[in-house]
Order: sequence, then structure tokens, then C-alpha cells
Amino acid sequence: MKEDLMDIICCPVDKHELELDVEERDDEEIMEGTLTCTECGEVYPIEDGIPNLLPPDMREEAPA
Amino acid sequence: MTDTPPTTGADGTRPDAAQQRAAVRERYSRIATESSSCCADTGSCRESSTASPTELGYSDADRDAVEGVTDLALGCGNPTGIASLDAGDAVLDLGSGGGFDCFLAAREVGPAGQVVGVDMTPEMVERARENAETSDAPNVEFRLGEIEHLPVADESVDVVLSNCVVNLSPDKPQVFREAFRVLRPGGRLAISDVVLTAELPADRRHDPASVAACVGGAASIPALESMLTDAGFVDVSIEPDADSEAFIREWDDERDLSDYLVAATIEGTKPATGTPQ
Repeated sequence: MKEDLMDIICCPVDKHELELDVEERDDEEIMEGTLTCTECGEVYPIEDGIPNLLPPDMREEAPA
Repeated sequence: MTDTPPTTGADGTRPDAAQQRAAVRERYSRIATESSSCCADTGSCRESSTASPTELGYSDADRDAVEGVTDLALGCGNPTGIASLDAGDAVLDLGSGGGFDCFLAAREVGPAGQVVGVDMTPEMVERARENAETSDAPNVEFRLGEIEHLPVADESVDVVLSNCVVNLSPDKPQVFREAFRVLRPGGRLAISDVVLTAELPADRRHDPASVAACVGGAASIPALESMLTDAGFVDVSIEPDADSEAFIREWDDERDLSDYLVAATIEGTKPATGTPQ
């Protein structure tokens, strides 16, 4: 994902802002990292450039 | 009413939400990994063998613009066509699948616009990302998410698109509430989906596979109208597409589903007044 996407993404559970933590970058593209909800603290992974913003109960059903 | 969301499965008559979601994910993950034509057994929202992009309302130019992606356009209409997008629009596609409609939308909104596709199937999002790399679409992003719990901020998009996906949701009113929330005041909803015209036979209604094939979960026009109105949409319009009969007929080997279903364009607007612009 690109960093400017941060403007419009939010926590799927409580709709609060997310904090980005980049682990790996490929030019503008964030390949690996995490998005953490500033309110509930839920951590959403970014894997292979894809932010996994499924609600926690669904991520457990089928991890990306 | 036939269009009550199937939320209870205890009596074994309707798939519950989890079963329905699992069936949908399983099916579309298979479609994403097995390439174009699959699951002729139960029919699908669209297989290349039954409905051409032209039948669904896409122009040749649309197809050429996103060459190589059409194989994963599993829709029942052309929401980008009905949305009349403007340059610079921020667009959200619910259930973006392989990304076909997103790439078309990206062409309309141009470099100043932004298109985000949300899909709950990891394999589909993976395919969409691969397609994004080959189709030169820098302003398209995909993420894993659920359309009932959109990971999208309030009032952040101009247009919400969706192609033959809302029928798959076990909680459609929640999908429309979420779409309303993320739209800016004055923002538009433009959906192609199948709607019920008559009560489905029980075996189709109660079967998770039928739900996943865009049949068992379809709602009637009056039910959808009240869901949209309850969510806050105005200028709600649901127009059946008579031409869809030809491809819907092919969805099921055993019976003619066009007796029960029709593809429709579903539109609504979030009122511009009452909220600061």
C-alpha cells in the first residue's frame, strides 16, 4: 500500500485512526508492516503490500 | 418475507452468517486461484462462458483498457458506467474481486482521483494486486476487508461502487449503513446486483453454495429500497435490466433462474445538506 492511503483508512471495528509502522518499503509501496488502531490497539498486518483490515474474528478464520 | 437476512441457522433452514461468509470466501478464493472459467456446476455471477463483457454493459474500449483483467470480472452489470465518475473522485469498490471495475474507475477519475477496492478474500486481493502491477494503475489500492465493517474513514469517498456483491452479504442493511457512513455529503452509491423478482425455491434459498453463487442471498426490490432509505440514502432508484435474463438463464442447469432473478442498477445519494462540506 502507499502511504497516502493512510488518509482514508481506519480501524474496521471502531473507525478510529490507524498508526503505520513500516518494516519494509519498495519505493513508495509499503510491503510489510503493521497498522495499529490508536483507540482499541488492535494490530492489523500489512503483508505483501496488502493491508489486512478484516475484523479480528475474520482474520482468525482465514489468515492472509 | 423472503428477504430477511439469513442470520439464524439453528433450525437448519437458512445458512447462518458465518456459514454464508465461509461459502462465499471458499468459492471466490477458488475462482481467484483457478483462473477464468470455473464452477460451471453451480453457475456464478458471471462466467466468461455465459455473459460477455458486452452483455454486461461494458464497451469494447472498457475491455481494451484493462486487457487481461476481464477474466476475473465476475459481475452482473457495469457500475462504473452507471456511476458517471468525475476526474478527481475518490471511489470505493465493495467486493472488488480481481479489480476490473476498479481499473475502469481509475481511468475515469484520473491521476487526481483515487480508487480503493475492498474484498474479504485474500486470494482475490492478491490477484487484484498482481493485475494492478500489469495494468499501469498507480491510483488503485486494494485491501482485505469486510463490506459490513469497512476499514474506511467517515465521509472520505465520493462514490461507492459494487458489482454483484451485496447479495452475498448476510447483513445487507449494515453494508448500506457503512456505505452511507464513508460517503461524503452529496456522494453517490452505484451498484449492479441481482435482485429477486419471485420467491426462490426452498432448495436454492437454503443452500450456502447457492448464496455464494449470487442466487440464494438476493433481496427483492422493495426490501432493498427500504434498506437504502433506512440507511439515509435519498433519490433511491432500482432499475431492473431486462437484458440480463439471457445470462441469468445460464446460471443453473436445472431451472431457469431468470424466473426469479434479474440484474439491476441500484443507486442512491447521500444528502448534501445537514453536514458541513
